[in-house]
Order: sequence, then structure tokens, then C-alpha cells
Amino acid sequence: MNKRVALLLLLGCVIAPVSQAQIKHIEMRVEGMA
Amino acid sequence: MKQHLGRQSGVQNVEVSLIDGKVQVTPKEDGQIDPAQLLKATYDSGVTAAEMDLTARGKIVKDTSGNLALQVEPNRAFAFTPNELSKSLESLAGTQTAVTIRGQLYKKPSGKKQKIDTSAPLKLLILEVEKKE
Repeated sequence: MNKRVALLLLLGCVIAPVSQAQIKHIEMRVEGMA
Repeated sequence: MKQHLGRQSGVQNVEVSLIDGKVQVTPKEDGQIDPAQLLKATYDSGVTAAEMDLTARGKIVKDTSGNLALQVEPNRAFAFTPNELSKSLESLAGTQTAVTIRGQLYKKPSGKKQKIDTSAPLKLLILEVEKKE
């Protein structure tokens, strides 16, 4: 049981930094809009 | 244009300000959004994108050419346009440090209206390093 928890924690540490990486916001300035 | 952009993959919400020509795009929670596709969709909707800025969180990596880049997804990274701020992040390359960056991904070349070349990779000019963690 403890081994399984430890494995899950280890997996979380590896995956978390990548899964939290993302584009949060995009702003554009456009021309020619009616 | 709002509907056109709203249909793009990974787009949660689009806000258009007619007064100053600003378009705010909020990505979905998973962040699976393609800025190059948004630029193309903007052009296809009949208007010209003058600038595109974004805020993104990711890791600093070096691409195959040795250029620094921000990896925002396992298969998506934006190479930096070199400046002082990008140099200051060089020591973080290859580490697990997550960095939140505000930067300019596209600026229309001066001159006549021209079709956006979506085949050319977009480069990220860092304007501000908001967070390192």
C-alpha cells in the first residue's frame, strides 16, 4: 500500500510541471475591423 | 470574427473591443490552443492581426538548434527572440522550474497588408517574466 502511494507521489512530481504548463491568455490587436 | 475565433480548438471565450481593436482570447482549462491557428482564423475572418501577445507558463528548454524556448505543452514550444530577458532565463534551461512569461508572439511587418505565413514558426519576444517557481 505504502509502495503504491509512493509511486503515485513520484508520478505526480514528474507529470505535474508539464500538465500545469499552458497558454493562459492571448491578446491580439487587429486592424480592418468594421 | 468573434464566432470564427470562438470555433477554434482550445478557445474558451473571445472578447472583442471595437473601439481599440483589441481581441482577448481565453483558452480552455487544458490550454490546448494553437496561436498560429488563431492568427490564420483572424486573417480568414477578413481582418488583419497587427500584434499578438500572450501569457504562458512552461519550462525553459533548448531546441535542437540550441535556441532557448518556452515549452508550454509536451509537443509545443516557442523559441525566444533573443533579448536581455531571454538571456536571464538561460540558466533555467532543462530544469523543472516553471516560468510564467508575457511576450509578443507576432507583430505585423510594416508595409502593405499581407497574408500571414502560418508555416513559419512563431517566435516569442519576452516582454516580462512574471513568475519563476
